Amino acid sequence: MSGSARSEIFSRLREASRGETEENIQRERLSLGSAPSPMPPTPENCQAFILNVLNNQGSVDCVSNRSEAVKAIAHYLYTHFHNYRLVAGNDPRLAAMPWRDAGVLPRFGSLEAGEPVALSFARLGVVETGAVVTWTSKANPAANNFLPEHHIVLVDKNDLVPTMEQAWERINHALETTGRPRGINFIAGPSSTADIEGELVYGAHGPHRWHVVLLGDIPVDAQNIARAAPKDQS
Amino acid sequence: MNEQHHDQSPPPQRMRVSLFVTCLADLFRPSVAFASIKLLEQAGCEVMVPLQQTCCGQPAYNSGDYEATVPLAQQVIALLETADYVVVPSGSCAGMICHHYPKLLQGEWRDRALKLAAKTFELTVFLKDIARIEPQRNNPPSTLSVTYHDSCAGLREMSIKEQPRQLLRELCGIEINELEQSEVCCGFGGTFCAKMPEISGKMVNDKLDHALATGAKILAGGDLGCLLNIAGRAQRLGQEIEVRHIAELLSGDMDTSPIGEGR
Amino acid sequence: MEQHSDTFLDNASEALKNTGQAERRDKIALFASQIRTAAIDSFEGFDDLRHHVKKIRQHSLDNLDYYLSQFEKEAVHNGNQVHFARDSEEFNSLVLDICQQHDARRIAKGKSIVTEETGLNSFLQSAGLNVMETDLGEYIIQQAGETPSHIVSPALHKSANEIRELFQQKHDLGHRELQKTSDLVAEARNVLREHFLQAEVGVIGANALIAENGYSMLVTNEGNGDLCANLPKVLIICTTIDRVLPRAEDATAMSRLLARSATGQPHSCYTSFYSGPRREGEIDGPLETHFVLLDNERSNILSSDYREILECIRCGACLNHCPIYTSVGGHAYGSAYSGPIGSVLTPLLTSLEQSHLLPNACTSCGRCAEVCPANIPLPDLLRDLRHEEGIKKLSAPRWRYGLKLHSWLARHPSIYQTLTATSIRILHRLGRKRGGFSRLPFTSGWTSQRDFPAPQENTFMQLYKAKMKQNNER
Repeated sequence: MSGSARSEIFSRLREASRGETEENIQRERLSLGSAPSPMPPTPENCQAFILNVLNNQGSVDCVSNRSEAVKAIAHYLYTHFHNYRLVAGNDPRLAAMPWRDAGVLPRFGSLEAGEPVALSFARLGVVETGAVVTWTSKANPAANNFLPEHHIVLVDKNDLVPTMEQAWERINHALETTGRPRGINFIAGPSSTADIEGELVYGAHGPHRWHVVLLGDIPVDAQNIARAAPKDQS
Repeated sequence: MNEQHHDQSPPPQRMRVSLFVTCLADLFRPSVAFASIKLLEQAGCEVMVPLQQTCCGQPAYNSGDYEATVPLAQQVIALLETADYVVVPSGSCAGMICHHYPKLLQGEWRDRALKLAAKTFELTVFLKDIARIEPQRNNPPSTLSVTYHDSCAGLREMSIKEQPRQLLRELCGIEINELEQSEVCCGFGGTFCAKMPEISGKMVNDKLDHALATGAKILAGGDLGCLLNIAGRAQRLGQEIEVRHIAELLSGDMDTSPIGEGR
Repeated sequence: MEQHSDTFLDNASEALKNTGQAERRDKIALFASQIRTAAIDSFEGFDDLRHHVKKIRQHSLDNLDYYLSQFEKEAVHNGNQVHFARDSEEFNSLVLDICQQHDARRIAKGKSIVTEETGLNSFLQSAGLNVMETDLGEYIIQQAGETPSHIVSPALHKSANEIRELFQQKHDLGHRELQKTSDLVAEARNVLREHFLQAEVGVIGANALIAENGYSMLVTNEGNGDLCANLPKVLIICTTIDRVLPRAEDATAMSRLLARSATGQPHSCYTSFYSGPRREGEIDGPLETHFVLLDNERSNILSSDYREILECIRCGACLNHCPIYTSVGGHAYGSAYSGPIGSVLTPLLTSLEQSHLLPNACTSCGRCAEVCPANIPLPDLLRDLRHEEGIKKLSAPRWRYGLKLHSWLARHPSIYQTLTATSIRILHRLGRKRGGFSRLPFTSGWTSQRDFPAPQENTFMQLYKAKMKQNNER
């Protein structure tokens, strides 16, 4: 059934098509260039990213090294859960974190029922949208993105890109070198819905809260923005 | 001869304008056309009215009867294309000439349509942006509370938004008492109002509610279709709001009774 | 109650009687338009973006055979099975076959208007499958046994109270009252979480297909689509053949338009790209993935004068800004697609005979075209459909002949002017006292809602010619 459907559909498409050669089609697409992107709220990447994460109802910690990152995560866990437990994927970068420095007890694997917090290490952060980018692999099982009550995401400052176009440039390069993952996820905030009378509610299906830990040499102004924001946004 | 020169000896620099009266003004509201002539003359134009004009063809066109519209469009083009400027006291009829004739016609007629489109203007746009009418007072007392409905075609096809407001300010000292959602359709839509009366009724009711909520004494607009629709609804509900074409207000013609109020 | 396009006027009449819903629609429309305006005003290059995406869409459609086959090749390379369906029937059967091959009983479904178009849910249910919609809005209307009233916010016609009552009927709530909206959301979340974890098959839609790498793009705020895509062991991605874009960056460029136009957000929470089954070493994700791609007239539309309608990105802005949609709501259109986009698409996907009233549900106000992020000239397409309606003689004869008569008269100025002069004088005399008419022959549509304002005494042409004569005599 599908075979004849396929050939019938394609024959109609060919009739409607301009019948250009592949070369001409590619050339025409190239000539159309790239899309305009919105102006960032401020020119400096870290600041703009933090502002957009906050707009997305996320919260942000700025840390300058991995030890501080662990401490910030510990503080977050204790504030919300009075314990130091979380789930993280089998990401070598996460495994190498000095967890003991702050007594955090990660379980490496995929989130299971009854586990409220998962941690991901983002591949990229997109300044334009305040989104983090992860892809599915054993380093970051999909469940860890979409099932926890709280999703904590580490982003290395060096992985910030200004626009989605630049994000794709980086992603395409990775796909070529390490193969295509089955899922690439741009996440920009906790799960939300406005399906009931247009009222915005967080935690529709996935995380109620979304916390970004930005790691690296963060300009003081950017740190101040993150610090000044209310910690209990979503 | 088809045209009447209003002024026998125009100075050479005067703009020569042909007025396309529109069928609704011709039939229901001649005062709009006379007010337009007065305003154009005040703006220093020499006004001609081609006598063979009837209708721009919108009713047939909007109903999708392109075959019936083509000869009408050609008739209007042939009638008006010799003018220096064509002025229309209606955003939707001006939009018909400027945007829809070129879409409808092909070949040589399309070229002629485009040429006509380039010199055709809605009245308030022409007065404000082209003829640049001098600020002056045309008598209505400036204490009048006036609200304004932005007719859809005028707003979206002819970019009429500030011109009527500026003119009311400069010529009459009137500041518009803006109604909410002034850019939402009043429910006229040509034959729509008769084909889908209940939906149209809801829409015109909303429009009237918004107009009444401003407390304005007068609702003005630039398109007679919308104004007849809103006035008719106000009449039906016994609401006392005067509905008038902007040209009447601008020219100071307040003796004519408002739309639908008899005399 | 199921409504059909051919009874649009009756459906609309019913809808207008429900004043509660009508008021809610008015409020939502105002809100939707305000947030859209705010979102677009804060993005200076929005119009340039519109033009850019329009060019990309045109380019994709111009070469759809090329890009669709490139997509197919890449998707297969990524480990997907790609299926094509000519019509709804084939489409539904393909999906059912896949479910049956896996002995699936439970299906978790993300929002997909395409599956509304094909009636997939009822088809699967009649084969004994338990299909659960997981988008909150879709879940609500599924529980209520209704269809979506809006392509983006399917349950916007329901009040929080109605939803509370619905949950009280359908869920075992015990003593819980679900007073706040967040309680209602949490309730649905709990019920749906169970279903996600048990479902054997996930079905999602796609906002775009990407030719260069064989991924689909899915944009949501809830993340329900991502749960459907990642938890069940089989994933079926359902969309139509016209959704293909050349590159990934084209899809994200489109998403810039989409979120701002749909919900006034600068972007949605989740923008996800999926292609293929669980990779080696991965501990979750589907074991088998399918794309089911529906044609259903799109390949014919592509070579018709209505091609531009395929550039629609399904943001719903034209619905939110259409005064007719916001007056009568989505159900009146009797189609999965309502509002201006629905009034163009429905006749093209079904037949003009069944749905010729829809293109008439338009005042040509142009607001839809003004807000359409894909720059689709919706009023023109609607008028073109009315043109076809006339050719097919589907409109009421009194309208057709009436307009023909009017056009004939308008082409004969002297007859027109004589006739109108006489008629206007009579009308004026009859109406001058009251100022208008509450009834007049041939105007029942007009006078059912408003009076017919009486004309001034004479036509302009009469007065003007008389004045001219005076001037000449002087």
